[in-house]
Amino acid sequence: MSANEQMVRRLDSRTIEVSLPSRLGYERIAMDCSASFAKMVGFAPERIEDLKTAVAEACINAIEHGNKGHPDLRVLVTMNFNDDRFSVSVKDGGKGILRLPKDKTVKQTIEKLKPPKGLGTYLIKQLVDEVEFNDMTKDGHAVKMVIKLTRKPYSPAKK
Amino acid sequence: MEQQTEIALETIGSITLFDIKGDVTALSESFLNDAYQKALDQGVSKILLKFKKDAYINSGGIALLIQILAESKKNNQQTKITGLSDHFKKIFNMVGITKFADIHDSVEAAVEAMSGPS
Repeated sequence: MSANEQMVRRLDSRTIEVSLPSRLGYERIAMDCSASFAKMVGFAPERIEDLKTAVAEACINAIEHGNKGHPDLRVLVTMNFNDDRFSVSVKDGGKGILRLPKDKTVKQTIEKLKPPKGLGTYLIKQLVDEVEFNDMTKDGHAVKMVIKLTRKPYSPAKK
Repeated sequence: MEQQTEIALETIGSITLFDIKGDVTALSESFLNDAYQKALDQGVSKILLKFKKDAYINSGGIALLIQILAESKKNNQQTKITGLSDHFKKIFNMVGITKFADIHDSVEAAVEAMSGPS
């Protein structure tokens, strides 16, 4: 693997960066990396699974919609742990999500047994503690998520 | 990178079990559709989807499962799910799939729940 293809870098003692090719399947590198990092800093298995799914879905959106599978564009995933906050930024070269589907619309579409648009962003919103879509940068767009070390368990009755 | 989906069909009494191995993603479409078509051709009325505990299932895979559930509802087939990890039980509940297919902890429990006339 050449220096240009290096996928995982340690930026400092609390920060790791993963650079992925824009190809479906490579989101698993970011998933596994985030899982290892979260385990290292003391996350419970259940929260690690939430983190893995949220990271995977953000990467899939970045690969498919942000970079449109363009082979020369990378998806940059930056992970940082500070206090009890695990922050993840997923950056692509796209223009962001123009119309973010409402949670209610996603659920109603599924209730009609139709494949919904925006299922990935719906899952991210359910699984993380904080999320910011459409953080525009000079050369693209980022999704920023925070998942905390501890959180009340998911309760279907509240959704 | 992708762990290719493999689906073996097994018959347990009047139930057709889809033994799903590997990832369930958008790339699993042809495997799921082929398996479903085969079951449809055999005239099955009860389908049990069995996943691996360590399966990677993403939104693309869930969208395909919704399509399968829509088809099975249209064809008056009863569908249930087993083998999921606790995380994916939560995810399936979160997206509302469980309204159309119950999740059971084991094949035996699902088979018992499906026994009797459909």
